Amino acid sequence: MNELVLALAVNGLVWGLIVALIALGLSIIFGLLDVINVAHGDFFMLGTVGGLVVATSTGSFWIALAIVPLIGLILGAVIERLVIRPTLRQASLTIVTTFGLSMIIQEVVRATYGAQPRRMAAPIDGTIPLFGINYEIYRIAAAAFAALFLIAFFLFLNRTKLGTWIRAVRHDPETATSLGIPVTLVTAFTFALGTAMALLGGVIAAPITTVDFRSGVDILPVCFMAVIIGGLGNLQGTVAAAIMLAVLEGVVTSFVDPTTARIASLVIMSVALLVRPHGLFAGATR
Amino acid sequence: MTASGTALSLSGLTKRFGGLVAVDDVTIDLESRKLNAIIGPNGAGKTTLFNLITGEIAADSGRVTFQGRDIVNRKPHEIVRSGISRTLQIKSVFGGLTVGDNVRAAVLAHERIMTPFRPVSSYRAVAARSNDLIEEVGLSDHRGALASSLSYGDVALLEMALALAAQPKLLLLDEPVCGMGPQETERTVAMITGISRHTDVILIEHDMEVVFDIADFIMVMAQGGILATGTAAEIASDAKVQEAYLGSPEDD
Amino acid sequence: MTVSHARVLGLTVLVLALIAVPYALPALGANFWVNIIAEILIWSLLAASVNLLLGYLGLLSFGQSLYFGFGMYGVALSINAWDVGFWSALAIGMAAASVMALIAGVLAVRLTWHYFAIITVVFSLIFYFAAMSMKWLTGGDDGVSFTPPPVMNLGGYKLLLTDPTAQYYVILGIVAGCFALMALIVNSPLGLSFKAIRENDRRAALIGINVYRTRLIAFVLAGALAGVSGALFAFFGRYASASYMFYHVSGEAVVWAIVGGASSLLGPLFGAGALIIFRELVSNAWEHYLIAVGVITILVVMFAPRGIAGSWNDLLHKAFMRRSQGADPNKPAAVIEEPR
Repeated sequence: MNELVLALAVNGLVWGLIVALIALGLSIIFGLLDVINVAHGDFFMLGTVGGLVVATSTGSFWIALAIVPLIGLILGAVIERLVIRPTLRQASLTIVTTFGLSMIIQEVVRATYGAQPRRMAAPIDGTIPLFGINYEIYRIAAAAFAALFLIAFFLFLNRTKLGTWIRAVRHDPETATSLGIPVTLVTAFTFALGTAMALLGGVIAAPITTVDFRSGVDILPVCFMAVIIGGLGNLQGTVAAAIMLAVLEGVVTSFVDPTTARIASLVIMSVALLVRPHGLFAGATR
Repeated sequence: MTASGTALSLSGLTKRFGGLVAVDDVTIDLESRKLNAIIGPNGAGKTTLFNLITGEIAADSGRVTFQGRDIVNRKPHEIVRSGISRTLQIKSVFGGLTVGDNVRAAVLAHERIMTPFRPVSSYRAVAARSNDLIEEVGLSDHRGALASSLSYGDVALLEMALALAAQPKLLLLDEPVCGMGPQETERTVAMITGISRHTDVILIEHDMEVVFDIADFIMVMAQGGILATGTAAEIASDAKVQEAYLGSPEDD
Repeated sequence: MTVSHARVLGLTVLVLALIAVPYALPALGANFWVNIIAEILIWSLLAASVNLLLGYLGLLSFGQSLYFGFGMYGVALSINAWDVGFWSALAIGMAAASVMALIAGVLAVRLTWHYFAIITVVFSLIFYFAAMSMKWLTGGDDGVSFTPPPVMNLGGYKLLLTDPTAQYYVILGIVAGCFALMALIVNSPLGLSFKAIRENDRRAALIGINVYRTRLIAFVLAGALAGVSGALFAFFGRYASASYMFYHVSGEAVVWAIVGGASSLLGPLFGAGALIIFRELVSNAWEHYLIAVGVITILVVMFAPRGIAGSWNDLLHKAFMRRSQGADPNKPAAVIEEPR
């Protein structure tokens, strides 16, 4: 019994790391553009579909892992230019534009890829014994990938010039402009990066989930929970909350049904929003 | 009841933002029927003091006594209803509404009229009082104009009408002539002195010429505390005040 | 002719056209469309509830499906459990939605801006998941069906919803009544305080408006409207289902309100009408018509943020140039103020 709980906790951790990657994309977009991207879950879904399609057509999952996030980067840049930037003046209405975007993405995928949910073979076969059950090796690998990309993201943000620019624009766009930082470009790149992270999360998750045009609808609330509980725009908080929520949900699910666990998370999220709109992990500075 | 001669009494009023003490243990009685002015360098805590008085931010400690009652940390709308109105440093009106609707909204709020089904236009007394207020501030020609289409000086006048709609006993003015040209300044100063004959006024102002010209009593703030108080002549010759103004040229 | 004359004329034409629907459309051989128009009328109330908050208070609710669902279940469950009459069931549906809106609103209206949008959608998700799992009560996805009682029972004569014409007029009457009440409210002192808060909530508090309480009143009113919409939809479909509590229903209502024109009273009717008619015309020929709906939504936000009704008003102003002094039709009527 205890071992099963541990196994479920590990499973939660795997999901938590992947969700953290996706939620981080949502969080940087919110922090810099003030855009609540309702289509973010659909970008994840595009990642799973893209992963499956590219992997089957090229025969290699690893090519998909390399190419699909790059496609996401380009797609994000195009969407930012065509849809987001022209509507930024009415920040509240971006929820509506991205809702429209969500409809378009889902329907385009349904029209091209189809409505039939599919499963994808894991690129790494085999299982290892873990807390008394045989655990798929790929799941461990997926967690490792996600963790690696999370570290890479924070290194990028803190150690590169572009990363510094992003932090500067997030902090104070006016000062950033006066310092000669190309704010428009940085904004566009941030949206593209956030989108690419959702697609990346999708590719990594594709072998351990169902590839379905509706899957974005399921993951969106989970990402929002991580972003809200971690604090809107608080990146480290988002990662911590994503992992914590997934592990908790994994463990709690072994005692109660998943719906009750989901409702409990949503209630926690409401409380977090009402009591600490900047998140449970917010320090005095933000 | 406190002495009828007190417009507003602050005692030990304190507000901290993180490590910064924005308003530091301010204690003062401001007399009624005098035009009181608060001056001080930027960051001295003047606007924060106003925000504490009107309940827009919560005080950490201290009391604000108005008409014999402690009103500290009451809700802003309750404080307005108790008789304190204010204008803001960045002039604040209802941009998307007409001048008439702006003032009618304020008059209705003052009369506590929130009925859901009767048209606004059917309230004769409200319309009459709104028109009086619009006339009083000299905006009769702009009654139907959207507030967002007014000139800066006219917005300030409209804001004054909104503040007066609540029939305040005490009016707080935050930099009323800031950003105005000479003519607009003159018009506004005349209006303020006119109002101060029947309503207690406390104003924050950077324009020393205006302050020394019209204020009966001046309180100088620096770093959240009271640096000096007195008449214009006393303040002008105060060494500490000169140091505060001339000694800190960076003026953060 | 002035703008207000043109408006009265337009409204008269609209009302006459809606009254003529059950006779005119079958005469044209389009019986099927009577029910579509009825459906539009019902959904326009849900869009109107979004509009009341967005257009008049500047609050974007993404959770109106919750109150719609309470309206639906209020009707279905009360009829099944207590065998109540039509009007009682309608009242129970509306009351259930209002009480739920009061409870949610007490918390939700403490927040504004994006935070308000998120908390409203979170509340609706909580009850969506709960309703989906409480199958013994709600029937979950499959829902609960019921037999609608007669609308009126006058000395042996029964007015039944099974007669499509009678059903249409009952729906039209109730929807028109709701819009008439809304028209009274937005022009009343309460409505003016809504608009004052939309324009500048800080100044609203500084003229003595209790901003929190006023927002709460509007939130409950919007909940009641959504509740009536849900109740009517339950009567129309003879069932209630938890699937209508999902946030996509709220999202659709937001799209209708924006396409129709937020801050214009009849905008939601035009928005719901245009997009539902579009769906009916296109969905048979093109399965993936939602792509077009998404594109239309984005284009409207981009190029006509005041929607159909706003553009129509601008057109009237341009056509007659007899506008009230100073009112600038090119200026968006402050669709949303940014509180940052």
